[in-house]
Amino acid sequence: MKTKKILSIITMAALLLAMLGTVTPATAASYDKVVYAYATFNNIPSEDVLATVEEAINQITREKIGVEVELMPIMIWDYSSTVSLALQGGEQVDIFQTLGDLNTSISNGMSMDVTDLVAQYAPEAAELIGANWLAATSHNGRLYGLPTFKPIALTPMLVYRQDIADALGLDMSAVNSVADIGAVLEAVKAGYPDMTPLAAVNTGNIGLGLTVPDVDYLTDNYFSPKGVLMNDELTVVDFYASDAFTQLCNTAREWYLNDLVMKDAATTSSTAAELMSSGNYFAYLASYSYPEADTAASLEAQTGGYDLGAKIVSSAFLDTSSINALTWCVASTSKVPEAAVKFLNLTFTDPDVVNLIIYGLEGRDYVLSDGFMSYPEGQEASTVPYTAQLSCGTLGNFFIMYPMAGTDPESLAWELEQNQNAKTSVAMGFTFDSSSVKTEYTAVTNVIEQYLPGLICGSVDPATEIPVFLERLQEAGIGDIIAAKQAQLDAWVAANK
Amino acid sequence: MEKRRKTRLAKTGPLLLIAVPGILYLLINNYLPMFGVFLAFKDFNYFKGIFGSDWSGFDNFRFLFKTRDAWIMTRNTLLYNAAFIIIGTIAAIFIAILLYELGQRRRVRLFQSALMLPNLFSWVVIGFVVYAFLNADTGFLNNTVFPWLGIQPFSWYSTPGPWPAILILVYLWKYMGVTSIVYIASIAGIDKGVYEAAQIDGATKIQQIIKITVPLLKPTVIIMVLMAIGRIFYSDFGLFYQVPQNSGRLFGVTQTIDTYVYRGLMELNDVGMSAAAALYQSVVGLLLVLGANALVRKLDSENALF
Repeated sequence: MKTKKILSIITMAALLLAMLGTVTPATAASYDKVVYAYATFNNIPSEDVLATVEEAINQITREKIGVEVELMPIMIWDYSSTVSLALQGGEQVDIFQTLGDLNTSISNGMSMDVTDLVAQYAPEAAELIGANWLAATSHNGRLYGLPTFKPIALTPMLVYRQDIADALGLDMSAVNSVADIGAVLEAVKAGYPDMTPLAAVNTGNIGLGLTVPDVDYLTDNYFSPKGVLMNDELTVVDFYASDAFTQLCNTAREWYLNDLVMKDAATTSSTAAELMSSGNYFAYLASYSYPEADTAASLEAQTGGYDLGAKIVSSAFLDTSSINALTWCVASTSKVPEAAVKFLNLTFTDPDVVNLIIYGLEGRDYVLSDGFMSYPEGQEASTVPYTAQLSCGTLGNFFIMYPMAGTDPESLAWELEQNQNAKTSVAMGFTFDSSSVKTEYTAVTNVIEQYLPGLICGSVDPATEIPVFLERLQEAGIGDIIAAKQAQLDAWVAANK
Repeated sequence: MEKRRKTRLAKTGPLLLIAVPGILYLLINNYLPMFGVFLAFKDFNYFKGIFGSDWSGFDNFRFLFKTRDAWIMTRNTLLYNAAFIIIGTIAAIFIAILLYELGQRRRVRLFQSALMLPNLFSWVVIGFVVYAFLNADTGFLNNTVFPWLGIQPFSWYSTPGPWPAILILVYLWKYMGVTSIVYIASIAGIDKGVYEAAQIDGATKIQQIIKITVPLLKPTVIIMVLMAIGRIFYSDFGLFYQVPQNSGRLFGVTQTIDTYVYRGLMELNDVGMSAAAALYQSVVGLLLVLGANALVRKLDSENALF
């Protein structure tokens, strides 16, 4: 009896201890430690591997800015919620990136006002990025972050199977607009009856939404705009009530009824890359920031190795979100904002630091020849100990990263030129603060989710569905959102023009 | 007196100790987070923190009732759960009785395992199993069954009509086996003597089931139903989100409070509104449990939960 009692007490104690868990002792550091949280599309490296990369970065940063860095890679789909929970829970995260939601993080106080810190500790980065771009990450004249410096002009392209285009003798150079695509798809359907000509890009999106030229989404999500500027005018309008939208839906409907586009595009959970890999699809429509040939070449590996081509079908357009979608912010809860800004500066100006973050250690994780990066013999992205290669357009300065072997050095020049010459919105620099209408925002988002995928993928009849959609949007309060946007825009115009 | 207390403690002490981890778990996992409910009444700001953020009254609750969706999602949540409780209980008891009557043989174990198996699948997997049946281009129904029967292919994911039936069917397929275990256990606990007496009196198998098994299952049914009613405002997220493949056309019949909150807040990531939705569900859920229990107490006080 007594032994049983003792045994049970011991078991209890063991359980309790197990629940308490282990406490890691804090290391004494003479340098400020900055935690850098970034989104990765690759595998999360192990702790040991991460430590080696951190150490290599620290060797540079200790000397240059007196700061130590802790890398915190987070899978892309967990990123926003992980960072937001970490900050709520008081965990140390000093630097984080926005994924299209800079407005939200400004209005809920996640991003720190870094106007003075950047002027003092990151003048090089600020100069490199330029005042025009920094305006896009400012609100009421205060700076809240540094936008990623990369090719931002997204150009809508038709990515297609070159082998099939050749076999059918299609003249792809004649495809210059959405209107020209239909004929090509018809030809493919006739030549290859078993194929579905057009694949979805992702759930509820066949790429048509972004092909309307000159739309400023006023910092809304591209896939669910709520009030936009069109045709260089400063009047906020409902995108879904526009003729351009009706026309898109009619096109989609026509394709759908003629079997030119996949039938379950509105609900599929497959992405364009997976669909193309299956060999049953001819093309998809999406926007890229690289030249046609580079885009096609870089996509081949992910799409089943078929010979691909790409053709620009609409023009690039720059608005505030093209710049601030990926913005590096200092967390408002950071205890070391100076050190954080100093480190951010390095990610824009120091090639060694950027290349360490993205490719890891030279020799182990990648090899360099003539300034081009490739994986070591027999290794690839999924097998090297560390790589964040797929995050290339999201970390600091894209232009100082080693280009991957196989890309054209001329492309960088083309990309820089697109950045400078693409058509720019009249409201460039304006950011919308949604906090006064967040109830309406949530309600409208739900209505859009319900109606948009079916309309834009052609699975419902626009003639009957668009009126219902518009009515439901009104009920949910899109009018209030548009009015709030217009008021803020007017104030912005008065202050900036 | 003193001595009695001592012996009582000696008797219950070890048991209490065994319960300690469970109690701690309950406190840490279920009671500690409750502290956060006041966030539902705050305009949460990361810089000002949990305590420093401004109070915002009932503002965070407004989005729940902003559109006609409020009615649709509340209706869907309640009706689906009511259907699950009623149909699910009947189906589970039916299966329990069938399995029990088969006796303790190998085939019973086979049936039981087969019925249990769907419960081990995640909703994502089940979503794709359903998708394999219903896909517009390549689905089993449209591609194989319908041509064979001479029926026109049907666009399942953009027609709301059949979805309530589909969802209930999928729910039963997944959970029937597991819920029946509870009933098998309580049937096994029924005194065999009662059945023997009935047999001697000439009762048939069917009569035994209707007159003995079913009435004696009543307390178990009541407890299970009460527990289910407590969660009637919560929906099985995976069932309503994964199985219809998040198809917008179907929201009218698949939108529940949980999916609405998830969809609405994915973009905004708003702490206050999420807390408000959770609080709303909990409060109404609690009221329903209390109400249902009061009703049971009035009708049949022996079987009330508390």
